[in-house]
Amino acid sequence: MLLPLIAFIACLVAPVPSDAQQSDHDFYLKQLIEEAQGKRLAEQREWQLLLHYRKNLFGGYESEQDDPGFFLSPKGKTSPSAELAATLAQFFSADLVGRSKQPAQCAFIARYHWLKEQLQFDPTRLPPIACERFNQWYEDFEVQSISLIFPAAFLNNPASMFGHTLFRVDQKGQTEQTRILAYTINYAAEVPPNAGLAYPIRGIFGSYKGYFSTIPYYLKVQQYRDIENRDIWEYRLNLTGNQLRRFLMHAWELGNAYFDYFFFKENCSYHILALLDYADPELHLTDEFIGWTVPADTIRLVVSKPGLVSEITYRPSRSTVIKRKREALPEAERDLAHRMTQDVGVLTSPAFAQMRPAKQAFLLDLASDYLRYRTETTDSPKLEWKERNRAVLTTRSQLRIPSEEFPVRPFAKQPELGHRIHRVAIGGGWRNNDTFEEATFRGGYHDLLDPEVGYTPDAQIEMASVTVRHYNRADQTRVERATLLNLLSLSPIDSVFHAPSWKLNVGMNTIRHKDCQLCSNGLFSGGIGGAKELRLLNREVLFAFAETEASVSKAYDEMHRIGGGGTVGILADMTERWKIMATGSYLKFPLGDKSDDFRWYVGSRFTLAQNWAVRLEYNHRDRDNDVLFSVQAYF
Amino acid sequence: MSKKVLLLAVAILFGSQAGLAMAANPDTGPGCGLGKLAWGDYKGQKEIAPQVMMATTNGTFGSQTFGISSGTSGCTNDGKIMGEHKTTMFASLNFDALTAEMAQGQGEHLASLATLMGVPAERHGEFFAMTQERYTSLVQAGEASPVALVKSLNDAIAGHPVLAQASVR
Repeated sequence: MLLPLIAFIACLVAPVPSDAQQSDHDFYLKQLIEEAQGKRLAEQREWQLLLHYRKNLFGGYESEQDDPGFFLSPKGKTSPSAELAATLAQFFSADLVGRSKQPAQCAFIARYHWLKEQLQFDPTRLPPIACERFNQWYEDFEVQSISLIFPAAFLNNPASMFGHTLFRVDQKGQTEQTRILAYTINYAAEVPPNAGLAYPIRGIFGSYKGYFSTIPYYLKVQQYRDIENRDIWEYRLNLTGNQLRRFLMHAWELGNAYFDYFFFKENCSYHILALLDYADPELHLTDEFIGWTVPADTIRLVVSKPGLVSEITYRPSRSTVIKRKREALPEAERDLAHRMTQDVGVLTSPAFAQMRPAKQAFLLDLASDYLRYRTETTDSPKLEWKERNRAVLTTRSQLRIPSEEFPVRPFAKQPELGHRIHRVAIGGGWRNNDTFEEATFRGGYHDLLDPEVGYTPDAQIEMASVTVRHYNRADQTRVERATLLNLLSLSPIDSVFHAPSWKLNVGMNTIRHKDCQLCSNGLFSGGIGGAKELRLLNREVLFAFAETEASVSKAYDEMHRIGGGGTVGILADMTERWKIMATGSYLKFPLGDKSDDFRWYVGSRFTLAQNWAVRLEYNHRDRDNDVLFSVQAYF
Repeated sequence: MSKKVLLLAVAILFGSQAGLAMAANPDTGPGCGLGKLAWGDYKGQKEIAPQVMMATTNGTFGSQTFGISSGTSGCTNDGKIMGEHKTTMFASLNFDALTAEMAQGQGEHLASLATLMGVPAERHGEFFAMTQERYTSLVQAGEASPVALVKSLNDAIAGHPVLAQASVR
């Protein structure tokens, strides 16, 4: 009685089939669902990956996917088996589903192929539907392999250390010269153009939607290399033909999806790893990220899988190219190239005309690089930069020789060679008349004295750090220091690059002030300044900041003090493993507790291994002296 | 030139979106809705603070136009650039890099353009030399429109003894 009734209702929706066909559909569907249940397909890793299910605390499932159109069952977000049954049912229909508006077999083509393989669909009873749109899209890639692309942090912006990762779909017959024509598979938040300050806050709490797109690689290169001046690392992956197909089929399905974009965990790096996980379910990449996903860590993880990465390529940013070319020139020629960017009269000067053509070409190319760098990193570029660039290029075109290859070495090694991002440290020392032991945990990421391999030079971003210290004589255990955020960027100034250095710190520390021997002190400070690179011993960076500071503590009159002052310092690489930093500051506080501070700091770090270091640090603040020796491990 | 590139990159994205005012500049793109949008709307994008913010979401231009299985919009089909627009779109979005590389007689943008125009890899050397020689006139054509640049290049290839023979079209 029930079956004909269902058949009748189904007939109202699906126009074509006769009653007999319909009952066979129902019968076959029922058979497939039973078989899927028998094989426990809904619990299999592939199905979980395809639907992005994660086990929740109560043992149930929830998909990370947030677009309702991605599920064919209303219970799909939380029920893998209901979704599987609904998916099988929808495969019998040519109705358009999902945001991409295709028949289910095409919209969810990876699910279709996986289920077809598992259940051996009978093509006469479940006829395959031709997926023209997918086929065209797939063939247009001419896929040969997949590369994982990592744009490193931009100089002078420590926050971008979190970086970004994307995939490039390498084409058959692609060369070093034509790889910019390949498409990328990119996951990014859709952000309204006038988002302003809401940007980071909404980014952290997941109120933007992230989508998958195939932006041509040449546009990404333009964005990262030319405008943002970030070096790019490319990791060619070893995937089989079948894995490539699975990868792209799932990418196609994700056109129906969006994920709430969470800056820390469910970010670009996390969601694109899911594609690799489905391509090769043995990899278990996304499982490794529980708290947060940092792009450099995803690179480290991918590189750590034996045989997964076949080739690593470095693509320098324009500013790196300019710096390396300048280094390669004697001072007189470096000056000549720079004068060329200020006065095109140099192009006809005897000093320039006497040079051999290859040298002229090199200087002209450098001048053009610099003029384009200025134009693209300034908000209102001057018209004369463009005109000078035109003059330089016209002169260059008259030389009639191609520019020689100029191999560029990176300033920072590739990210997977760097220390891991979490850090613990244990240490001990003296403070005034007392001794202490302490332990520190830091959530992330890198400070100026951490081993610099794999990190942007002279940049620091510390987050979520806390130190607990026990004083032996005072017999007191207390939170000694805590950091919410501590950013610092030194950008050495020369005749070409003149970005300011800057710093920002929000946190607390323990001070000795007036009658209070150990008092907690809330701290907010910021500063701006300049830096200069020297090469006396190895590499040294001198810096100076003008800064302001506001503190809150019960040690102060009126509970607070606000003031400002300055800091000078040096950061020096003594050897490959040994680095020192020394700073001196004077701050005067005219508001609140009227007082002033002289501060000295000397720190020295020795790298033991990629993830191990030791430090000896001395901190002086008025009559307060603190010596700390610590062992640091990164994990 | 970079701004123009950016304008175009932004325009591809938002050109298809309703509700955003288009600047009065004429559409000089490949002619599939690739207009120009005032970059002024994104003022400060190159400054540090907005960049810091951008880094939190990796918000990026182009995710709509190039959205996977997003259907047809302007120059793209399911996020892929339509075949007939590939060359002009490339020329238009990379004009700045292309002019520099033409003058320099080599480069990856120029090699990629040659590939899109059907010049086989073993003839790229001749193509580079030809563009270097005709630098001034090619730049003039390119400033008028990317379509004119591609046409000038096609004419130059057709008139070139070696390239005309070797090229696919």
